[in-house]
Amino acid sequence: MTPTRSILFYTAAAALILIPGCKKSEERSASEKPAGTVLKVGIVTDVGGRGDQSFNDSALRGLELWAAGKKYTGTGYVDTTPAEVKATLPPDLAARTPPIEKLPGVTPLVLQSRAQEDYEPNLQLLADQGAGLIIGTGFMLENAIEAAAKRNPDSKFLLIDSPLLDAAGKPFTLPNVRTVVFKEEEGSFLVGAMAGLVSKDGRVGFVGGMEIPLIKKFEAGFKAGVRTTRPEATVLTAYTGSFNNVAAGKQVAQDLIAKGADVVFHAAGSDGLGVIQAVKDARAAGRQVYAIGVDSDQSHVAPDAVLTSMVKRVDLAVYETVRDLAAGRFTAGDAAWGLKEGGVTYAPVRIDFPQRAAVLEKVEDLRRQIIEGSIRVPATDADLASFKP
Amino acid sequence: MLELLEALVWSTLEFAPALIFAALGAVLSERSGTVNVGVEGMMRVGAFAAAAFALVMPTPLAVLLGMAAGALFAAIHAVLCISWRSDQVISGMALNLVALAGITFLLESMFGPSTSPSIAQLGRSGFGPLAQVPLLRALSGHTALTWLAAVLALAFHLVLGRTPVGLRIRAVGEKPSAAATVGVDVIRLRYLCVIGSGALAGLGGAALSTATLDRFEHNMPAGLGFMAVAAMVFGRWSPLGAFGAAAFFAFGRAVQIGLESSFPSVSDVVPKGVLLALPYFLTLVVLTLQGKKSRAPAALGTPWEPEAR
Repeated sequence: MTPTRSILFYTAAAALILIPGCKKSEERSASEKPAGTVLKVGIVTDVGGRGDQSFNDSALRGLELWAAGKKYTGTGYVDTTPAEVKATLPPDLAARTPPIEKLPGVTPLVLQSRAQEDYEPNLQLLADQGAGLIIGTGFMLENAIEAAAKRNPDSKFLLIDSPLLDAAGKPFTLPNVRTVVFKEEEGSFLVGAMAGLVSKDGRVGFVGGMEIPLIKKFEAGFKAGVRTTRPEATVLTAYTGSFNNVAAGKQVAQDLIAKGADVVFHAAGSDGLGVIQAVKDARAAGRQVYAIGVDSDQSHVAPDAVLTSMVKRVDLAVYETVRDLAAGRFTAGDAAWGLKEGGVTYAPVRIDFPQRAAVLEKVEDLRRQIIEGSIRVPATDADLASFKP
Repeated sequence: MLELLEALVWSTLEFAPALIFAALGAVLSERSGTVNVGVEGMMRVGAFAAAAFALVMPTPLAVLLGMAAGALFAAIHAVLCISWRSDQVISGMALNLVALAGITFLLESMFGPSTSPSIAQLGRSGFGPLAQVPLLRALSGHTALTWLAAVLALAFHLVLGRTPVGLRIRAVGEKPSAAATVGVDVIRLRYLCVIGSGALAGLGGAALSTATLDRFEHNMPAGLGFMAVAAMVFGRWSPLGAFGAAAFFAFGRAVQIGLESSFPSVSDVVPKGVLLALPYFLTLVVLTLQGKKSRAPAALGTPWEPEAR
């Protein structure tokens, strides 16, 4: 070992020992140990953390409420009854077989990350505590999961929303890591189909955040969906160039609404709050406009204005992986979850509009066709160009 | 065509105020001789305070308290820079960091990590019959803040250029020792200007959380404060200049957005990043053309020390 190398090594080693000690924001798991085998499942949130009403909350729901049957109260866990858990399941998951129910012995360990530097120490801490499965929510944890998985070959890992990527950006696999990504284009297709049917004037809008391949999947799916149910419709498209600027989202959405869009779908992170606000304002001014949310059910932001949301089922991906592990079926590798796997869907439609039942029936019919494989949903501009409804 | 123009004007009037208030705040502080790069942080404090107070009181009152919170936060800057004579840029940047972390902490402990609960927005005024006339329609449907921004800029211009107090502010920014010899209390005036600057920045932040959105969102103000400082420099440290520059930024953004959605083929020819950078690129061009004519207040960044004449 050369001197420089050894210095690096010792610094890294010291950091590993010290950082978890001082930076933990651990939440106590249930102190009493249930009888039988205990399966510790750890989860490291990204900087959004608990309460983000989106990605992280969804992952936590899959682990704490569904798999462990526990509810987090702010100070600790309380046990829930199966009926309580059942009440949180959307209809399609409640009917799922095998049913979603508490898995015996699962004990959640949750570490929240305050900054990106927390990811790796948090993952390591969970490994040191003997977690059988360690879950990282969000593509931002990709590097940290990779490093932790290599260092702890005996622990199993689940990475949500990204495959493992090497230095050149090429996906690769590790024997102890499962990754789940979502076929956003399929969910976007369904909300696009709904937008096409709901739109009065045949003009709908799409607001993206940064123009990156991930967001392009939403756009391509959405446009294909609109084209399927309303071939003559125009999709006005705009990108805000950011994911953190609500004012930009609102400005862009107002522009689209001023140009006649009456259903606006956003895939723009925080900018999307501005999009929903723009729709809310337009409704207050007497226009019949709807917004479509993304990632989680955003209906609570503006119950009258949000038609539905394109939902990524992070909770389900977490739950199914825990179940696989508990049953000894854990397999490493990459998975892409679409409509068929229940990885994406649209949130329950809570508002009323003309022909509601017929619209929903048509959308459900399209869902069946995608699951059967008779519709292949495009995920890129190139695929979209050759897409024939 | 007329409709396109109308949409541009409407969008500019809607989104410029937050930037204008903050830019005017920056001008007020810097004309009195104190560098203020902490505008971003002061906006954040104002935005959060307005949204939090609006939960328990009428929104216009909460906006005033948002201003007060911005002013209070700026008072720290005043103490550091004027009384303790610390480096003004470092103090401003430190305040930005404190606001980023501190407000995040407050938000999480009070409401959760992403947003505050929704509040009643500031009212929007329709202009009755005016709302039917093409083009003039663009003036209708804004909050009072839009008009306040214009009035404030003009009033600030008049006060700074035409009144004794304006002369004193300019004097302590250009040559504080000269002002002190004729009996101007340099320290006190600078304090007032920095605190006033915080109030204006706080108002800009409150505009985001009470007019643009109906809640505080954890990323606010997402760099707007730095754009305000740029607008101040672009506007050559004058109130009307900063007003014009801020309005120009907002207009440039509206043009870019309008272009993209109305003429999607533009983005096939011009990369999207170029379009996004267009207003700022134009700013650079204008600043380059202005050359040496753009001049900051002479005593800007120099703490006032009565003993060192």
